[in-house]
Amino acid sequence: MFFHIILERNMQLHPRHFGARLREKLVSKLIKDVEGTCSGRHGFVVAIMGIEHVGKGLIRDGTGFVTFPVKYKCVVFRPFKGEILEAVVTMVNKMGFFAEAGPVQIFVSNHLIPDDMEFQSADTPNYTTSDGSVKIQKDTEVRLKIIGTRVDATEIFCIGTIKDDFLGVISDPSAAV
Amino acid sequence: MPRVRDDYEDDLDEEEGDEYGGEELLDDEEEAEDEEEDEDYDAGEKSAKKRRRSEFIDDAALEDDEEEDDDYGGRRSSKKGRGGGGFIDDIALEADEEEEEEEEGEDDFIVDNPADIVEDDDRRMHRRPLLPREDQEEDVEDLERRIQERYARSSQAEYDEETTDVEQQALLPSVRDPKLWMVKCAIGREREVAVCLMQKFIDKGSELQIRSAIALDHLKNYIYIEADKEAHVREAIKGMRNIFGAKITLVPIKEMTDVLSVESKAIDLSRDTWVRMKTGTYKGDLAKVLDVDNVRQRVTVKLIPRIDLQALANKLDGREVAKKKAFVPPPRFMNIEEARELHIRVERRRDPMTGDYYENIGGMMFKDGFLIKTVSMKSISTQNIQPTFDELEKFRQPDERDGEIGSLSTLFANRKKGHFMKGDAVIIVKGDLKNLKGWVEKVEDGNVHIRPNEKGLPVLCSTSELFLQYSKLVLSVCLLLSFFMQKTLAINEKELCKYFEPGNHVKVISGSHEGATGMVVKVEGHVLIILSDTTKEHIRVFADHVVESSEVTTGVTKLGDFELHDLVLLDNMSFGVIIRVESEAFQVLKGVPDRPEVVLVRLREIKSKIDKKLVAQDRSKNTISVKDVVRVLEGPCKGKQGPVEHIFRGVLFIYDRHHLEHAGFICAKSQSCLVVGGSRGNREKIGDPLSYLRTPQRVPQSPGRLPPRAGGRHRGGPGGRGHDSLIGTTVKIRLGPYKGYRGRVKDIKGTTVRVELESQMKEVTGKDSSRYGMGSETPMHPSRTPMHPYMTPMRDPGATPIHDGIIGKKRILLRGEPPGSPPSRTYDAPTPGSGWANTPGGSYDAATPRDNGSAYVNAPSPYLPSTPGQPMTPSSAAYLPGTPGGQPMTPGGGGLDMMSPAIGGENEGLWLLPDILVNVHKPGDDAMIGVVQEVMADGSCRVALGSDGSGDMVTAQPNEIEVIQPRKSDKIKIMGGAQRGSTGKLIGVDGTDGIVKVDDTLDVKILDMGILAKLAQS
Repeated sequence: MFFHIILERNMQLHPRHFGARLREKLVSKLIKDVEGTCSGRHGFVVAIMGIEHVGKGLIRDGTGFVTFPVKYKCVVFRPFKGEILEAVVTMVNKMGFFAEAGPVQIFVSNHLIPDDMEFQSADTPNYTTSDGSVKIQKDTEVRLKIIGTRVDATEIFCIGTIKDDFLGVISDPSAAV
Repeated sequence: MPRVRDDYEDDLDEEEGDEYGGEELLDDEEEAEDEEEDEDYDAGEKSAKKRRRSEFIDDAALEDDEEEDDDYGGRRSSKKGRGGGGFIDDIALEADEEEEEEEEGEDDFIVDNPADIVEDDDRRMHRRPLLPREDQEEDVEDLERRIQERYARSSQAEYDEETTDVEQQALLPSVRDPKLWMVKCAIGREREVAVCLMQKFIDKGSELQIRSAIALDHLKNYIYIEADKEAHVREAIKGMRNIFGAKITLVPIKEMTDVLSVESKAIDLSRDTWVRMKTGTYKGDLAKVLDVDNVRQRVTVKLIPRIDLQALANKLDGREVAKKKAFVPPPRFMNIEEARELHIRVERRRDPMTGDYYENIGGMMFKDGFLIKTVSMKSISTQNIQPTFDELEKFRQPDERDGEIGSLSTLFANRKKGHFMKGDAVIIVKGDLKNLKGWVEKVEDGNVHIRPNEKGLPVLCSTSELFLQYSKLVLSVCLLLSFFMQKTLAINEKELCKYFEPGNHVKVISGSHEGATGMVVKVEGHVLIILSDTTKEHIRVFADHVVESSEVTTGVTKLGDFELHDLVLLDNMSFGVIIRVESEAFQVLKGVPDRPEVVLVRLREIKSKIDKKLVAQDRSKNTISVKDVVRVLEGPCKGKQGPVEHIFRGVLFIYDRHHLEHAGFICAKSQSCLVVGGSRGNREKIGDPLSYLRTPQRVPQSPGRLPPRAGGRHRGGPGGRGHDSLIGTTVKIRLGPYKGYRGRVKDIKGTTVRVELESQMKEVTGKDSSRYGMGSETPMHPSRTPMHPYMTPMRDPGATPIHDGIIGKKRILLRGEPPGSPPSRTYDAPTPGSGWANTPGGSYDAATPRDNGSAYVNAPSPYLPSTPGQPMTPSSAAYLPGTPGGQPMTPGGGGLDMMSPAIGGENEGLWLLPDILVNVHKPGDDAMIGVVQEVMADGSCRVALGSDGSGDMVTAQPNEIEVIQPRKSDKIKIMGGAQRGSTGKLIGVDGTDGIVKVDDTLDVKILDMGILAKLAQS
C-alpha cells in the first residue's frame, strides 16, 4: 500500500557545498540517499515529493560537516498481510514463482498456487492448468494476495497466494503476442 | 495353652467334666461367637491339628482318645469343638480378635479419630489380661501386639486424609527400622520362596525373626527379606530350597522405598499410536498400533515387512536356509504377486472379528503390503516416539485414503513435555472443545491454561443463545464458554497443538531442521510447510517443533570447525562447498563441474577446510580471483552469473543470488566462465582507487607504468590476492577524528576501509584510504610530516594524477610491508644487512647526503643511467632527478623502489631473477631457451641462450621473456613473496599451487606456481 507521509532525516553536508545552492544540494543529496531505501517501519521510499522543513544546521566538530535536520514529504510503499497486489513474475521454479511488485519481491509457493496448475519444466518453466488455458511464466502479470511479510533492514520479502477467488493471471505476454 | 495341656495330662479321666469346666472358663466373647468359631474352624483346623499332634506326640493314648472323640460325630460335635477348643480356640480366637479389631478399625475409620484407636487398643490390651485363658494366648497376643506396634503408625497415617509431605517423610525408613535384605534365589521361584517363608513363619511362629518377605514380579533371581539382622535372615532361610543364602546384600536405606514403590506404568496405548519395536528383525522400526489386548498384554501392530522372499521360499520348501544373522532385509512392502511367483503359498483369509481380509504367508499376516504382527507389550517402546517424515510417508503410501499425514494426533501422546510457552497460539485437537483456538497463558505440568480466542467466542455465545430454548446441552456449553471468556481454560497438553497460519514467520526449534527460520506457506494439519528464509526452499516440519519468531537465521551454520559456505576437502580427495549444515552432517556441493552433485557428509568425513586464495584463468585467460564476478558460458548452469566464492583446482564455486538450488552455489570450470567487468585483481587498470592499497608488487602492473605486453603470457601471479592484501595489516589513521589511532584493517570496500582500533575496542570506517598509514613502523612517523612538502612538488612535474596517488599511497603502504617483502628487500640489496625497516633511524632520519650518495653508488649501476629515460616508470623518472635530496627522506617511498633492480624486473612478471630459465621470443625468431644473467632496471634482461646458459648473450625486453614453468622435482627459484630469491625443489604440483622444499631452511612451502621459475642447471 502506498502512503504519503512526512519523514525526518539528519543530512550531513560537506562544507564545500555551502553557498547559494546549498538547499538545492541538500535536496539532491536527500533524494540520492533516501529514494529506493527500505525501512522496516515505513517500507520502501518510492519518491520524495517535497521538502517540508529544513532545520538549523549544526557544524560538527572536527570534520566541518554540517548536519541539517530535514523534514520531507515522500511516498512510501509497504506491503501488508492480506493486501492484494499486482505483480510481475520474475522467476518460475518447481517450488513456486517469484514475482515483483515494484521493489517488493513476493514468493508464491506451489502450495499456494491452485491445485489444477502444474509445473512444467520446459524451456521457460511455467505453471499451466491442465487444459492449458492459463499459464504462469516469466513476465506474466498476476494478481496475488500477500499472506506474510518478512521485513529486513534493507528488504521486504513477502509470501503471496493466488489460491483464492479473483486471483491469478491478469495478463499473459505470450497470449498477447 | 500350657494349662490346657496340664489338664489333659493330669486328669485324663475327668476329661469331660473338666472340659465343661473349661467351657465355663471361656469368656462370653467366645460364646457369643460360637458360630463364627465354626466358620473359622475350617481355617484353623489344619494347623490346629498339626499343632495338636506335635504337642501330644508322646501321648499316644490321648491322641487315640482324641481321634475317638473325633469319631463321635454330631452329638459330640460340640464337645469335640470344645475338646479341641483349647487349641482351636486359640486360633479361632486370634482370628476373631483380629476380625474384631478390623471391625473396630473400620468403625474408627468412619469416626476418623486415630486417637480413639490407640485408646481402644490400649483398652483392649488392658482388658485382655483380665480375660480367662489369656495366658494361653500370650504368644498370640504378643504377636498381635507386635503387629499392632508395627502397623499402628502407618494405619494411623492412612486415616489421616491430608497427609503432608512432612508426614510422608516421617514414614520413610530410618536407621532404627528393620532392614531390607536382598537374597538370591532360583529364577522363577521368587514367589514360591516368599510363600515358603510365609508358611515357615506360620509354622515356626516367633522363632523366625524376619519381618516380611517380598517377591517382586519385575525382579528375577532375588527376593527381599525384611529383618533386623542378617543373622535372622540366615536363620530363616536355613534349610530351604531354591534360596541361596550365600549372598545376602543389604539394601541401603535410601533405596528401600524404591523397592516397594510401584511405578505407574500406565502405558497409554491406543489404536493408531506410533510405537517402535524393541527387538528382533524389526528392532527400531516404526509400527502403528492396530489393536491392544490389555488383558493378555499383547499388541497388534502394523509394520513394513522386512522379509527376504527368496529365503522365505526356501524355508517353506523345506530347503536349507543359511542362517545369516548379519543380514537384515530392507523394509519393503509385501508384494503378493512376487510371492506367488516364488511359489510361496499365499492364503487369503478373512478375520472373523473385523471382517477384513488378510494374506497369510507362512504364518505371517499381511494386509495391503503391511505385516500385521501381534507382539508382547514389552517388546515395543511407546515413549518418545518421533517418527520422521520419511517413515510416515512410507506408511501412508499404499493406502491414500487415510493418507492425511496431518492426522498425527497420536504423535502427541508421547511428545516431549514443556514445549508450550506463554503466548503460543494453540488449537484444541481433541475432545468437546476441538478446534477452539487460543493463546497459552500459563503452563503447569501436563496442563496448559489457555485463553480462548476472544473474537470467536462472543459470537458463539450469541448464537447459542438462540438455541438455548432447544437444548439444555447447548446451554451448558454456552455457560461453559462464557465462563472461559473471563478465565483461562486448563487443557491437557495432549489435547493441544500449536497453531500457525500461513504467513507466520517461525523458527524451528527441534528436529532435523532445528534453527532454521522461515515463513509458513501451508498448514496441513499438524504439519507446516515453511519457506526457509535463506535457502528459499520448502521445509516440512511438525507444528510442535516451531515457534513464532521474527528472527531470521539460516539455522545452524557451524558444525565442528566447518561453517556454511566453506570449501572443504573430503575424504576421497574430492572437494566441495558446504551448502547446508544439518544437525549431524553437511550437505556438500561437490566440485564436479558437469552436473551439480550434492552429497551428505558427516563431520568426520571432512578432511580439512581449504582456505587458500587461489586464482584461475577464465576462457580468455583472464585471471579470476575470489570475489570476481563471472558469467558461466557453458555447461548446465549456462548464463548464470555471480561472484566467485571459492577457487580450487580450476573449479569455481560461484554464488548466484538468484540460483535457488544448492544455496545459490554453482560449480563450474574456470575455463567455461568469463570474468564480467574485469577481475578485481585487475581493477587498477581502470584506476580503482584501491589499487593504491595494493602491495607494491602489483603496482607496476598499472598500465601507466608498464610497457604493453601480451596478456596471455602474463601468469596470474599474485594478482589473485585481491583486496585482501591490506586486510589484516596494521595501519595508523592519519586524518580525521581518529587521527593517530592504530588498528587492524578488517575490510575494504571501495575507497572505504574498516579499521579495528587497537585502543578502543571498536571498528571505524574510514572514507579515504590515504588517511591510513601502516602503524607498525612507529619510529618513522616523525619523518613523515616533513616529507609532505617534498612530496608535493615532486608529484607535480610529470606524474599524472593517478601516479600521484600511487606514490602517495605507496609511501604509506610500503612502510607496512614486512621487511621480507620484495621491494624492501631489493632495497636492502645495496646495503645488505641494513634494511630500512630494521634501522629506520639510520636510513633516513639521519640521512646525510653522503649516505644518500652511497645508496646510489652501491646500487647496481646499470639502471642508473636508464632511469631518467625510462618511459615505463614515469613517476620515478620524474621524481628521481628532481628531488635528489628528498630521496632518502622517503625511504619506503616509491622512489627508492623504482630504482631497485627488482622494479625493473617487475615490469615483466615482476620477479625475474638471475639464474632462472626463460623462453625468449624475439620477433621473427623462434622461442629460445636461455638463462637470465642479469636483470636491468628497465626490466630488460641479459639472457644467456641455451639451457645451461652457454650460448650467446642477448638482451631481451620483458615482454619477450617468458618464464619456464617448472615441473615436478625441478630445481626452482622463488620469484615473489617472502621467500623471493630462495632456491628450492618442486616436490609436487597441486593445481595452481606448487609444493616447494626450500633449500636454505628445508621447509616445505606451498606457493603459487606463478612465482616459481625453473632454475638453470649450473
